[in-house]
Amino acid sequence: MKALGKLRLVLAVLGIIYILIPLIAVVPASFTSANYPSFPPKGFSLQWYTKILERQEFVEAFFNSLQFACLAAFFAVLFGTLGALAIAKYDIPGKHYVTSILTAPLSVPQLVLGIALLIYFTPMMLAGTSTGFLIAHTIICIPYVIRLVLTGLSGFDYNLEKAAAILGANPFIVFWKVTLPLIRPAMISGGLFAFLTSFDNVTVSLFMISPNMRTLPIEIFSTMQDAYNPIVASVSSVVIFISVILIVVLEKIHGVGKVFGGTQH
Amino acid sequence: MEPLRNYADQEVSEQVKVTGEPQRKTKVRKRRSWIAGLLLLIPILLFVFGFFIVPMLYILYLSFISTDNLNGADAVYSLQNYITLFTDSYYLSSMWLTVKISLYSVLVSLILGYPIALTMAKSSPKIRGYITLLIASPLLVSIVVRNFGWYLLLLPNGTINQFLMNIGLIKKPLNLLFSELGVVIGLSNAYLPFMVLAIATSLYNIDPSLEKAGAILGASPMRSFLTITLPLSLPGIVSGCVLVFSLSMSAYVTPSLMGGANVPMMPVVIYDQINTLLKWTFGSALSYVLLGITLLSVFFFTRAFEKSKFREVFR
Repeated sequence: MKALGKLRLVLAVLGIIYILIPLIAVVPASFTSANYPSFPPKGFSLQWYTKILERQEFVEAFFNSLQFACLAAFFAVLFGTLGALAIAKYDIPGKHYVTSILTAPLSVPQLVLGIALLIYFTPMMLAGTSTGFLIAHTIICIPYVIRLVLTGLSGFDYNLEKAAAILGANPFIVFWKVTLPLIRPAMISGGLFAFLTSFDNVTVSLFMISPNMRTLPIEIFSTMQDAYNPIVASVSSVVIFISVILIVVLEKIHGVGKVFGGTQH
Repeated sequence: MEPLRNYADQEVSEQVKVTGEPQRKTKVRKRRSWIAGLLLLIPILLFVFGFFIVPMLYILYLSFISTDNLNGADAVYSLQNYITLFTDSYYLSSMWLTVKISLYSVLVSLILGYPIALTMAKSSPKIRGYITLLIASPLLVSIVVRNFGWYLLLLPNGTINQFLMNIGLIKKPLNLLFSELGVVIGLSNAYLPFMVLAIATSLYNIDPSLEKAGAILGASPMRSFLTITLPLSLPGIVSGCVLVFSLSMSAYVTPSLMGGANVPMMPVVIYDQINTLLKWTFGSALSYVLLGITLLSVFFFTRAFEKSKFREVFR
């Protein structure tokens, strides 16, 4: 009994280390003073962080990523919240199918989605433009927002809306003062999740970028393909840092595990 | 999805208010309410329809057009793309390679994931929460960053090779990166959290008194695991395997970074056809074949389990 329990525990710890080890390796490697990244690092220096600022393409890509992720999250939350409200609240015929359609972009491989959008956008002159990029990223974010807001609405007490209406509030006041504050946590976690989905995305972005519009993961991806450059370690550490901050916020509001618990195909 | 609005309750209040024609009034109100709902739905439906459904159908249509010229001068409707795919040995071996590597990564994540899920199920809710946070957080960090971490560990002069050479186990560095092994490591690492969460969910639902009853009747811990816990967690195992398999089949970034040209999995081949060779119609056909193979494998895998002796587990 004891021996089996111990074996299980050891295997579990090994498994968790296996999940985390690539991330654990990156951050120390970025502080190396050598000309190549290694884990454990050789010496200590911040040279690879100051070098990011000298590489204009990384700085530009970072701000592009930030901008697109914010916009994609905004549109996904806007459309997604309205859609989820409609599905949860109104007796729309075939609402089960509507939910499936709206979450379908999640079950199609991102590679295929990227290809479809590239081929579709080219005659529309949207390929390689920021509009096209934004549309593609909004599409991949929408399913998560729909799921999270629907989950948030599942415990919603519609009597509160009714009570407000009886007390004389018009529909807009009801929405603003009653509905919105109650679904705000679900909207915020949906937005954060959408932000990270867009900010981290490589596969769809690969088909949407143009030479003068690139994002940070794309820069990391192409640098890794060309050369083994230590600057990737410091840029990656910046990405990890941003992700960790958002993960902490997401965990406080919603619980990171729950987000993925609902992400069943 | 259950309708969340309590209509019965509403109708009563309507009837109390307007005693004249309660029936008709309610009907009108009901219809008006779903029309309002439709108005809220229209923006997102149009968006998803216009930028997801139509493009997907468009490349399905394109996949039935075959052309050798890039300008499409000789374009004709035919099944030529699909015929080439299933007769050319290059594409066939790429399909087989994709399925093989995906199966390996399912196997690795199952073996590594089960003990984690079991430990989560046996822990207190607090510990469970911490483990969930630890294993789910990497999913929110870009895949390129996670792959770069593996570069540091797996390169010929990377951590693992250095370590093995220092303790004298190997003389020459092993080819861990840019090989099938590297892709399996990358994919299983990336999707292991999904496996753990799927299995853990089904383990949480097992009634703990079953194991107690087994122990009282004299079953050893090993036996009670094999006859009670493992069979009851099978639905979780199946859904975890299905998820990891389909994600591995269609992953592009990990195979191209960790395998490169040495491991031409289907997504890598498709990417080359579309972005390098600009063969859009052929690439579209390849995309749909990839989708088809994934869906078919998942279908048969799930069916096989539903028909096996564990059928009762699946309701």
